[in-house]
Amino acid sequence: MATLQMRVRTIEPGEALKKSRAAARLLATERSEEIFPVLLEEIVRLGYHRVLVARVDFETSVVMPFASLNCSKEYQQKFKTSLYAMENPVVRALHSLTPQIFPAEKGTSVLYCHPLLFRNKFGCWEAERRPVAECLAFDNAQLSRKLNLQDQVCGTCHMRAYAAVVVVEARQSETKQLAEVGTLIDLSNRYLSRLFKVEHYYNRMSDMEVTIGQMETVLASMTDPVVLTDTQHRVVMQNKVAERFFKLPEEVSEGRVRAVELNNLLFSTALSSMSISGSDTSRDMTLVDPVEGEELLFEAVSAATIGKNGRQTGMVTVMRNVTDLRRADQELRMNYERLRAAEELVRQDRDRLNVIVENVGDPIVVCDNQAKIVLIDPLAQELLGEKDGHRQSWQVQNQARFDAYVSSFTFSFSDRASGPLRLFQPESGGEIDYDARSGKIFDERGMVAFSVTVLRDFTAVKKLEQLKLEQRMLEMEKFAAAGRLAGMIAHEVNNPMEAIKNCIYLLTEGIKPESKPVYQILKSETERVSRIVRQMLGLYRNTDQVGNVDVNAIVEDTILLFSRQLERVSIQVKTDLPPLPVVTGSADQIRQVLSNLVVNAKDSMASGGTLTVRTRQMVPPGSVKGWVRIMVADTGCGIPKHVLENMFEPFITTKGERGTGLGLWIVKGIIENHGGKLRVRSKPGRGTAFRIDLPVIR
Amino acid sequence: MNAASKPHLLVVDDEPAVLITYQLILEQKGYRVSPASSSQEAYQTLRSEKVDLLVCDLSLEHSESGFEVIESAKRENPLLPSLLITGYATETAIQKAEDSGVPVLFKPIDIQELFETIASLLRNTREQPQTRGA
Repeated sequence: MATLQMRVRTIEPGEALKKSRAAARLLATERSEEIFPVLLEEIVRLGYHRVLVARVDFETSVVMPFASLNCSKEYQQKFKTSLYAMENPVVRALHSLTPQIFPAEKGTSVLYCHPLLFRNKFGCWEAERRPVAECLAFDNAQLSRKLNLQDQVCGTCHMRAYAAVVVVEARQSETKQLAEVGTLIDLSNRYLSRLFKVEHYYNRMSDMEVTIGQMETVLASMTDPVVLTDTQHRVVMQNKVAERFFKLPEEVSEGRVRAVELNNLLFSTALSSMSISGSDTSRDMTLVDPVEGEELLFEAVSAATIGKNGRQTGMVTVMRNVTDLRRADQELRMNYERLRAAEELVRQDRDRLNVIVENVGDPIVVCDNQAKIVLIDPLAQELLGEKDGHRQSWQVQNQARFDAYVSSFTFSFSDRASGPLRLFQPESGGEIDYDARSGKIFDERGMVAFSVTVLRDFTAVKKLEQLKLEQRMLEMEKFAAAGRLAGMIAHEVNNPMEAIKNCIYLLTEGIKPESKPVYQILKSETERVSRIVRQMLGLYRNTDQVGNVDVNAIVEDTILLFSRQLERVSIQVKTDLPPLPVVTGSADQIRQVLSNLVVNAKDSMASGGTLTVRTRQMVPPGSVKGWVRIMVADTGCGIPKHVLENMFEPFITTKGERGTGLGLWIVKGIIENHGGKLRVRSKPGRGTAFRIDLPVIR
Repeated sequence: MNAASKPHLLVVDDEPAVLITYQLILEQKGYRVSPASSSQEAYQTLRSEKVDLLVCDLSLEHSESGFEVIESAKRENPLLPSLLITGYATETAIQKAEDSGVPVLFKPIDIQELFETIASLLRNTREQPQTRGA
């Protein structure tokens, strides 16, 4: 302004008034667009006829007429030129940044070309705040003679500069006054630059407001809480959703205040630990919903906000409510675990089943509900042939018979079936009756899913049973033969023994006192031989026919037979005899067994006690065989350990003179001949218990 | 006690040694004993003499049975008591003896038991007529 005033003073008073009026008009402009019209008007008012402004389009590098006064279209077009047409005085004026005067086409006139360029004495505001930043306007102000036409955009505030030339047509006589016009143009350029700068900043502000508005809309429309914090973790900004958790509304309940306080504490603690650990940008955070009061789990993702100086200014944290997600995740995980456990169980079951199927040793076939084979073990495969492989003719026949059997079972109403199935057996080279047993497996709707058929070859089992029976019969026969022999011998010995015994009795009176001990030995040993003979006779007597034996009846008979003897030594008898199946064997032999055991029990309880006889039916589940168990227990003196070891051998006795040592040997022989088992348990002083198991064939 | 007042026992056994020893023992006990080693001998004695008690072995020579002797004797004298002694008897034989009320003693025989059985059998026959008479 000072420069302007100084120059104004040098002009004439009339002119000066005009110029100051022009300056005032220029100064009064509020918009950059107003500058050129006012300038052109004022130049014309100064007495110049034709005035024109040509502006540089930096993008196309073209100089274009922009505004004019008193110029025809054709006249204006003369000033359209390339920015690099250096022969053109207009272009030259621009490049050199110096006003140029050259003759117009009409002989008497000259053209005055004055360049205008965006330039300021001070840098832009943004550049001023940054010490190293450059400003185009300031740089342009430093230029004197050379315009940098390639780079007319401010590196700091991104303002696009302008460049223009004012062309004034003047008479040659007016050349001297043109300097004043130049001053006016320079003045308007300064105003223009200033307005340009203001407008640029205003535009930028408007743009920013739009951007901020957009950002706010984005934030507001986010359903997740977003919080901007400063370096002290104080909340700078937050969206509506976040406010629910971290901001107190005006009228609130105490509970809500506490919830919000707690949330703020939890949040800043989480942020602090996050910024301490550094790398951790995401973490779980539990917050309390101040309205509903329930605990919610959030996953918070934070990012540091960096200022222009490169320093951290705070953090932006976006929180995602993962309560349901985690719950679902947990449930999913649990379901997965459950599934895995179930799968494991199924696998184990399958393995177990496979092991069972492989080890049954009988052919097994599983069919579906259409009676089609779905699973077959190698044994069954051998019988029926491979599904799609080559088959022997007998395998085809077996398959046909099996199909008929399975079909009739599958489509029948019964859940189980068993019966003979005649199939060709390669090992025996003939047809045999397999014992086919089938069962149905139902699905959860109760429909038939599968059927399982097991084929059992009973011929082998039957053969073995037969062999065992024959063996047993042979053993019994042998035992009976031995018994008969013993009986015959005993019978033969019996009468001489009777005579000897009678003689000894007759001699009683005539024995000299010194011979008495010898006589006693003779007497007692003879009695012993008598007992052995009697035992052997019993053995013979009892080997008779084999038939069905009612064990309970024999027990009752035996107890009755000995009841008086037992009573006499005050032995109490307890029996427990539930119904039993019949046993195949010799009734007399079993009676002998019981007699022997009862006599032994009686002898072991010289001063009384309890004799217990119990019977039981023992049927292992699923077994064809069963057992009848007889238990004879006493509360007598028991059997010493050394005797227990060989008590079933012949001539072993604890009864001294009174025993023959044959009783238990006979018992064992009879039980073994019946295919049974004999066990004894004894405790000296407490008693003895015999347990006999006799087989029952159903 | 003279010979006539002594109870008269007929002992039948085909084993001479057994027969003689029973005779000696029973005579020592104070009975009059007529031994018979066969059924024929027994029948003779039964026909010729009055017998108070018949003691008979079950199995005699020529597969003769003691039962035959006893039955034959009972035909003559239904009240004649008898005792069967045996070394070996089948169930059916024992059953038969029990059915006809004849006691059985198994060899080797306990001599005291023999005495007791004989005494009891003789006592019963003596008491019977008295009971009837009264």
